[in-house]
Amino acid sequence: MTATTGVATQQRRQRSDPPPRRRRPRPSRWLLAVAVAAVVVWSLLQTDVGVSSLVLGRAGAARLLSGMFPPDLDNELLARVAAAVIETLQISVAALFLGAVLGLPLAVLMAANVQMPRWLSGGARAVATVLRAVPELLWALLFVATVGLGPAAGVYAISLHAAGLLAKLCSEQLEAVDPAPVEAMRLTGATRTATAVFGIFPQARANVASQLLYQWECNIRSSVVIGFVGAGGIGQALGIAMNLFRYQQMATLLVAVVVLVVGVDRLSRAVRGRLGAAAPRRDGRCSMWFPQSLRR
Amino acid sequence: MDIRLTEVTVALDPHRPPVLVGVDLGVGEGEQVALLGPSGAGKSTLLRVVLGAVPPIAGQVRVGGLDPYGRSADATRIRRATGIVRQRDDLVRGLSARTNILMGQSHHWRLTDWLVVLRGRTPHRHAAQLGALARKHEVEDFLDVPIEQLSGGQRQRVALVRALLSNPRLLLADESTSGLDPRRAAEALADLRRADGATLVVTTHDLAVARQFPRIIALRDGHVVFDGTTLADGTVHDIYGRQPVGVRS
Repeated sequence: MTATTGVATQQRRQRSDPPPRRRRPRPSRWLLAVAVAAVVVWSLLQTDVGVSSLVLGRAGAARLLSGMFPPDLDNELLARVAAAVIETLQISVAALFLGAVLGLPLAVLMAANVQMPRWLSGGARAVATVLRAVPELLWALLFVATVGLGPAAGVYAISLHAAGLLAKLCSEQLEAVDPAPVEAMRLTGATRTATAVFGIFPQARANVASQLLYQWECNIRSSVVIGFVGAGGIGQALGIAMNLFRYQQMATLLVAVVVLVVGVDRLSRAVRGRLGAAAPRRDGRCSMWFPQSLRR
Repeated sequence: MDIRLTEVTVALDPHRPPVLVGVDLGVGEGEQVALLGPSGAGKSTLLRVVLGAVPPIAGQVRVGGLDPYGRSADATRIRRATGIVRQRDDLVRGLSARTNILMGQSHHWRLTDWLVVLRGRTPHRHAAQLGALARKHEVEDFLDVPIEQLSGGQRQRVALVRALLSNPRLLLADESTSGLDPRRAAEALADLRRADGATLVVTTHDLAVARQFPRIIALRDGHVVFDGTTLADGTVHDIYGRQPVGVRS
């Protein structure tokens, strides 16, 4: 038995195969499962989650829901809701633009296949980490204190967080391109800029565009949330209605939020679908992310 | 530009046997060499080693007296003096043939040249040479066509023009004739061999192609198993007294 094992080990060494992974013994797996379950139960109990809290709060919920019906359809309110929806869209688009202006260069600096100097890529990574580690709500509180109530604070808050997210996600898209043309460019002695512009970005442009559209969806949702702290848009109107117990107005605003989020989600998904189809397109037409002149 | 490999061993995966084992060879300035061997022999890896893309775990590499694994500036000098045509499709999809050809010259460009290339045109400094090469290699008709719309043979010619545009002192071709019909393959080989004064290393698995070169180096399982000359009658003579083995004639 020992001799057989020894021969097998020797043969494996000769073939330079990695040793087979040992399975974790069953008792420790059970212990791990019990520990995870204990943490989940402890968290639920400590946060007072349960049917009893819902039952106790049923009177408040009933008052809120009954107060919301029928929704307020006053013309003046509908005009204000429309203006708030437009402002929310403006916040999301402006934040996407600023987020992309800051985030995409960071993504290029961070992408490993661009091979920027380590101090530069490390610095970019640190900046992106800080930007996305701070939630939009916190950025919004800071900017409301800095530039005052209104949509500008919302744009700054969302764009900083979006820049951090875009930097991370787009750098991953850049790193996922086919390495063969990139290496071929590098082997010609091409500069880093040329390698990024001609070797990496054309391959990743559809995915990066898709990422930007997805970020736009996120910006819409974020702008609704940060509106509650006075950063403009429909969220701000919703917060005011809630604080003043105007539940019928709140119902109208909630319907507008749902319509806006679903509409933007559908539109973004449709455009992303078309971009996804456009990436391997062979008809010679260009997508919006790279000049037509380079293809034709 | 001469190449000198001294006892070079390369392992791409620490769990697998080395791809090149103690390779010891030299290629003189202006020499034309066929690197012969079956798939997996280590031919492509050897070319990448020469250009500083795969660091050896042992041994020494010198190209034109420079160490491609020393200062990064030396690796860049070697690469900018080298033209490479590879078997793999190294051209960037989504870009025109013209942009694919020009992008290897970006280190010469000023801002105005960048703008010209981004508009899909040829910078003045490359216009005459690109025009001549495009005519010679019959790529001028599809210079503005996206690369994914070209046939395999057309792409190979685009890659060849890209390699020749830099007036290379070292020309490396990795199975560059494998995607071409016999007439085009012969022409491409002749074009490579006509590159003025450049050292030429062509990898192939085909003994008939290798026989067209004055010197053949055969690789098998990462070892040099033959290094010899081709005589006028097409027979080959080995400095080790052996014949090429493990290759298809």
